[in-house]
Amino acid sequence: MARDSAHNNLSDWVENYTDPLFQWAHHKVSDNEMAKDLVQDTFLAAAEKLSSFKGDSKPKTWLFSILNHKIIDHYRKKVKQPLRFENNSIDSFFTSDGDWKKEKQPNDWPEDSENLLDNETFQAVLKECLDALPAHWSTCVKLKYLMNKKGDEICQEVEISPTNYWQILHRAKLQLRECVEKNWFKN
Amino acid sequence: MFLSCLKATALINKKSDASLSCVENIQLKAHKSMCSACRNYDKQISVIDKALNETLNKEGLSVDVEALKASILGKIKNSQ
Repeated sequence: MARDSAHNNLSDWVENYTDPLFQWAHHKVSDNEMAKDLVQDTFLAAAEKLSSFKGDSKPKTWLFSILNHKIIDHYRKKVKQPLRFENNSIDSFFTSDGDWKKEKQPNDWPEDSENLLDNETFQAVLKECLDALPAHWSTCVKLKYLMNKKGDEICQEVEISPTNYWQILHRAKLQLRECVEKNWFKN
Repeated sequence: MFLSCLKATALINKKSDASLSCVENIQLKAHKSMCSACRNYDKQISVIDKALNETLNKEGLSVDVEALKASILGKIKNSQ
């Protein structure tokens, strides 16, 4: 009987908390499918651990703490994926003396920045460029802007060294800027 | 004392996250006063920073919550 009522609880929780859990997951990973999977995994984990839930905290709090662990794990795994240094390394932007290569120098952008921020095409180009980055790099960029955290906190959470993090972010920003410039002015 | 463009761009990226030391600030200023490419880079990165903040934080939600609930309930049943 106890098992039955626990089960009923779980169904109620799915009914009541799927939406807020999804909103939260989406806010943190900025990806519909990934957010769905995380919420699903959260409930599956909750089903498994149901007997250990003693009701000391509210069910909602308990579920959110499971979800938060899943989110951190998700980022940890992504960052751990092996790094491939493709031809878009630092060397492709700078000479061995550290000067910009001629064809890589940032050009003037004609429009002033305030206008660009309201421009939907510009935002769309930026999003495309972000998605075009190697997965590893875009993860670091997303972590920074979505989690609203400082570099050292991110490093701790996903267990990479600060040096590694700054190098990834440096390359990602160089690449992003160039991609935006190419695709923005082409249109 | 004089920064390369490589170092200057690294500092420009760093300052959107952490504050630069006094020396770093001076070095970067000096470098930018002489290098138009890095001036452009600095301006454009701050535009991209702001835009990333907006784009990533307001991306539209498009999910059928009822379908998600049904699928979760189904999975839970199967896992028992």
